[in-house]
Amino acid sequence: MLKVTDLNVYYGAIHALKGISFDLQEGEIVTLIGANGAGKSTLLNTISGILHAKVGQVEYLGEDISNEAAQVIVQKGIVHVPEGRKIFAKMTVLENLEMGAYTVSDRQQIQDKMGAMFERFPVLRDRKKQLGGTLSGGEQQMLAMARGLMANPKLLLLDEPSMGLAPVLVEQIFDIIQDINQLGTSVLLVEQNAHMALSIADRAYVLETGNIVLEGDAADVMNDPMVISAYLGG
Amino acid sequence: MNKEIIRSSSQKGLLFGIVMIFLVLINFHLMASTMISKLMGTNVLRGSLPEARFFIIFLVLYAIWVGWSAASREGKTIHKLFEGLFAGLIAGLTVALFGLLLFYMLETQTDIRKYLTALSFPSMRFFLLDMGELGILVHFGLFTLLGLLGSALAVGLRSQKVAHFKQGVKTAITNLRLRITNALPESVNKYGKYGIYLLLLVILFLLPTRWGSYYNFVFGMVGLYVILGIGLNIMLGLSGQFMIGIAALFAMGAYSVALLNSPIPHGLMWGFWPSLAVGVVMAVIGGLLLGLPIMRLRGDYLGIVTLGFGEIIRILLNSDLLTDITGGPRGVQNIQQPTFLGTPFNDVMYAYLIIVAMAVSIFLYYRLENSRTGRAWLSIKEDALVAQATGIDVQKYKLLALCVGAAFAGLAGGIFAARNQFTGPNDHTLMVSINVLSVVIVGGLNSIPGIILGSFALRGLPELLRELETYRLLVFGALLVFMMLVRPDGLWPASRPDLEEKGSPGLKEDIEPAEEGRSND
Repeated sequence: MLKVTDLNVYYGAIHALKGISFDLQEGEIVTLIGANGAGKSTLLNTISGILHAKVGQVEYLGEDISNEAAQVIVQKGIVHVPEGRKIFAKMTVLENLEMGAYTVSDRQQIQDKMGAMFERFPVLRDRKKQLGGTLSGGEQQMLAMARGLMANPKLLLLDEPSMGLAPVLVEQIFDIIQDINQLGTSVLLVEQNAHMALSIADRAYVLETGNIVLEGDAADVMNDPMVISAYLGG
Repeated sequence: MNKEIIRSSSQKGLLFGIVMIFLVLINFHLMASTMISKLMGTNVLRGSLPEARFFIIFLVLYAIWVGWSAASREGKTIHKLFEGLFAGLIAGLTVALFGLLLFYMLETQTDIRKYLTALSFPSMRFFLLDMGELGILVHFGLFTLLGLLGSALAVGLRSQKVAHFKQGVKTAITNLRLRITNALPESVNKYGKYGIYLLLLVILFLLPTRWGSYYNFVFGMVGLYVILGIGLNIMLGLSGQFMIGIAALFAMGAYSVALLNSPIPHGLMWGFWPSLAVGVVMAVIGGLLLGLPIMRLRGDYLGIVTLGFGEIIRILLNSDLLTDITGGPRGVQNIQQPTFLGTPFNDVMYAYLIIVAMAVSIFLYYRLENSRTGRAWLSIKEDALVAQATGIDVQKYKLLALCVGAAFAGLAGGIFAARNQFTGPNDHTLMVSINVLSVVIVGGLNSIPGIILGSFALRGLPELLRELETYRLLVFGALLVFMMLVRPDGLWPASRPDLEEKGSPGLKEDIEPAEEGRSND
């Protein structure tokens, strides 16, 4: 479904991604784990068209999207949920969700989608007229994910959904990710919380300073001695 | 009486005394007395001093303030009264010592104007209330007695009873309102809003014919600033772009109307309406040309570049280089008037024109704000990255905001030039941009009533304060400072009626749009 080949991304003179190649099959959860500054967010930003690669290409459903603008990529079905609970703090929950469906023009479809989101995230229904900024951290993360799902993604790019959340909330979020995946949305999950990410992912890639240093089935990666010592604290 | 009370109140008194001396050294006592004199209907001739009794009024107010602020909020009444009295005593003593010094200098004819220009002999005599040594005693007595009075006032007005009374009046008013609305038939409540609009319309229709050309002029200025404010608000309030060069876009509109509809320099006589349309289009083009290179800039940097843009346009208009095209420093004169049924526009017609332009602008603004486009702008303002991730073409919408805002500025500029029958580089200085920015910020970002109120406060009030002549900017500045302290979100902040205020007690702070203009950083 998604095929990234030899991706090189620069911030000015800084070489952030040094020839990344990986792929993601339809229906999979693939996770990218790595420390701060490994280039995880850069990679997601490049796939979603917020950044553009100098060298290499991103292929989605057999089509080269490396040079497409972000809004075109959203319309093609790749939705990016940026890290750090980036919600519209001064808009209500309802408005946040409406913004998520910006590319959808069918009103009925938006209504249905909204209903589905309130089913999945009941807390958002309770808070629908509150400003996004007044929600708690976990609620904000749920709102960010719900907003992403409003656009009907085929592929969801999640950037550190567990960031700064209590363990019980992290589990809740990861359950929801699995649910979403089972309903047919492929997920590319970027995480620092390697243990949680590996436990729900099908396959995993380990990113270090702009390079992929390890790849394989999630279970194998979880047992890799290097990963255990570097990310799982074993 | 414990020492703490004596210490704090003597400090207060000393502070107020020293401030008073300082005010005299910058001649403020003369200024204030003149102002009071004028407010009370006694004119003061230029170069002469006001009567001493007006200075006494100033002193009375000041001394009451000393007592008021010296009285602490909590504690026994007797302590509060003592605090006022003691602070007044100390302040009076300080001022009296200063008076003694002045009296001595008057007696010995010591002229120190070389060092302190404000301390001329008449001014010194005026400070002593034209009474010589007796003035010193009067100062001392006034401060002491009124310090006590001030603290007594503070005790009285801050008491529980007064607070209860205030609360009572408030609830009574609310109850009355509720009873009236309940008593009225439903149809009145439903259509009452439209009735008020109709009334407003009639007032707006009648006023320009009644109140004379001067007020029409002031009103027109306010109206044009409302339109400019709406334009700027689209850039700043909706899409979050910190734009300071709106005077340049205003100039595009003004110069289009001026050049296309005047005998000199080009002899083009296109008529007002076509040239106004060209003005709006030119402003939009200006906004586009400005927007393209600055799309990547944000926050303060954007502000600096747009400020530069505004200055470039003004300097170009002012330069000899373009004299043949734009009229150079002399500007464009004899701009032709639009006509209505064959008669050229007079001040009343211009007032109507501005009312219509204002109404159209407000209508368009509301339509835009609540549209998909408006939502996209707001989301870009909040977080451009997330907006992009939800599928909004950030660049396109930012440019669009600049262009739409520019159209409003061009409209205001075109009407402005025609109404003045003249426009020149000095109509489009940086001050115009800053004034528009102030109108929007002072009034309240994203709030149309706020912008209207802001225009009245910032553009109307200084005109109406002209009575005070030299002091009008002083009064105006003081009002501004006071307002920003009391209402930091603007005179009439934007409200969100559909909001449900639930959650943490600290919620209010989160909603308050602090630093709205820079949330883009």
